[in-house]
Amino acid sequence: MSNGQNLEEKERERKVRRKIFYLIFGALALISCGFLIWKLSILILPIIVGALMAFLFRPVKERFEVRWLPHEIQVLCSFAAIGLVLFFAFNTFRKHIPDEEQKLEFKVRLKYKLNDRYRQLVAKSPEGKTNAVTALLEKELGPLMDKMNQVLALNAEERNLFLKYAAGYNGKPPIQSKFVDYFRANQTTGKYVIPEETAMGAASPTAPAAPAPTQPPVAEEGTSLESKFSAWILAPLIFLFLGFDNGQIRRFFISLVPNRYFELSLTVLDRLDDAIGRYLRGTLMECFLVGLTLALGLILLGIPLGIAVAIGVVSGLLNAIPFLGAVIALVIGVSYALIAEDVRPLIPGLNPNDLALYVVILVVIAHVLDDVVFQPFILGGAVNVHPLVVVIAIIAGSLIMGLWGMLFAIPTVVVVKTAVETFFKELKDYRII
Amino acid sequence: MSARKFAADKLLWETLGRWKRSSPELDRIQFLKTVPFFDRLSNRQLKTVSDIMFERNYDTDESIFEEGQPGAALFLILDGKIAIEICRETSTTRLAVLERGAFFGEMALLDDTPRSANARALEPTRTLALYRNDLNGLMDRHARTACQIYRSLASMIGDRLRSTNELVQMKISADTARLE
Repeated sequence: MSNGQNLEEKERERKVRRKIFYLIFGALALISCGFLIWKLSILILPIIVGALMAFLFRPVKERFEVRWLPHEIQVLCSFAAIGLVLFFAFNTFRKHIPDEEQKLEFKVRLKYKLNDRYRQLVAKSPEGKTNAVTALLEKELGPLMDKMNQVLALNAEERNLFLKYAAGYNGKPPIQSKFVDYFRANQTTGKYVIPEETAMGAASPTAPAAPAPTQPPVAEEGTSLESKFSAWILAPLIFLFLGFDNGQIRRFFISLVPNRYFELSLTVLDRLDDAIGRYLRGTLMECFLVGLTLALGLILLGIPLGIAVAIGVVSGLLNAIPFLGAVIALVIGVSYALIAEDVRPLIPGLNPNDLALYVVILVVIAHVLDDVVFQPFILGGAVNVHPLVVVIAIIAGSLIMGLWGMLFAIPTVVVVKTAVETFFKELKDYRII
Repeated sequence: MSARKFAADKLLWETLGRWKRSSPELDRIQFLKTVPFFDRLSNRQLKTVSDIMFERNYDTDESIFEEGQPGAALFLILDGKIAIEICRETSTTRLAVLERGAFFGEMALLDDTPRSANARALEPTRTLALYRNDLNGLMDRHARTACQIYRSLASMIGDRLRSTNELVQMKISADTARLE
């Protein structure tokens, strides 16, 4: 055998060895990753949130890049700026977080107002007659109201505390007298629907005894909360390290790609980055605009600035969940409208008693604006996901990870869809498949 | 500031700069200085360009890109030899053999039109690749550097266009003479 043939044979063997090595290494890496994901599932969400924050922060970092300043100092300056903004935002927000007294006052007020509205809704005519609509409302809403009353009822400790605050407690002035009147009125609120057994007399002697209330596992809950909290420390850390990254992570992953797929992987990564970036930043902008519309609308309806902004922020953030965001905005807005007092709308001619109706109209307007103006102009045709896929993704997300799952369902669908589409297109363009 | 102090300062900063950079990085910058494509750039600008380049190693006969594939990057040869070839149904025509310091695939910096030829390593080869979108990104962050690279690219394409025109004119003259 000639020397050249020998070399060729060795080279072929080396290639086979390399393939086997890559296969074994890849399989081991996959198994290890799967095991780690399964065992450390608690860390997934903080990592995703941290990475997402870094992804959204990147354009800001690039926009304010100063050529003569070292990269690390620039990133530190950007972090300092973000920290300052967050500090002021948190301080402003903290002022609107109700304290113990305000929480009690809110519960009393909500219970009183809800019952008051309900009684007005199902009120009988002066002749004492009830029409079919009122009867239906009474039948459907009665049990719901009973449940609400049960939830909003103050326990013995809270009642004592409320009475203390009513007289002035903990260095605070006494609670307004009207809220004390609400409190008294709430004490007399009875049930709207009387259970049949109670109506018939005593409960059946053969009825099984109610199970003894089980104590929640306090220690376990504490540990779980602690571990959740420590897991969430990862989010800012991931954000910080990804913020400092100057393309090294991308470079590392690209260096692992075989030469044959080098240009392909660069193109796929870039298109993916572009599509996901456009979608996420577009969604963020859309949520901001919906929140702003709602907040401005609520201010025009006469709702205090702090409350209007808080409702706007929460509704804007939840707008990222298709369909459900609008419903939640409606529930929060209408709930506040039902308990609001002394509302003076800035738009002349509006009746403050119909505030709930105006809030419904406002939410509808905000979401029509979102569908007709914000989404087409900001998101454009960036991501075209079928409504059925959206619904299924949200339900699946909620089943897997609850509220967070719902929030991340659509971005995940978008990432997977864009990745698959781009990958297959580029594989065909590069004549690999 | 006195000239002596200025010189001392410059020396200090240069030493610090050299100490900060790892040796392969310095080698890469030194190499980039020798490439005509980047001859207008200062050391600092070359460092910026070097930071966005990818180093790739190819074995003998390994393909770098193939004719018809969308182009995404320009390649510079750090070490080794590259053959630029066109494959037709029955034959392969070798257009050029490129060595250290040469570059190829530069049209990919403009758009993703398909590659016009194959590039294949003739021996173990090290290359530096400059990805189109990274250069576009440089346009936002270091506009001056990106402009100078584009200017080099434009003047190089202009030169090639001139030589192609001359070739076409020569061919037309030869054809006309043959017909007469």
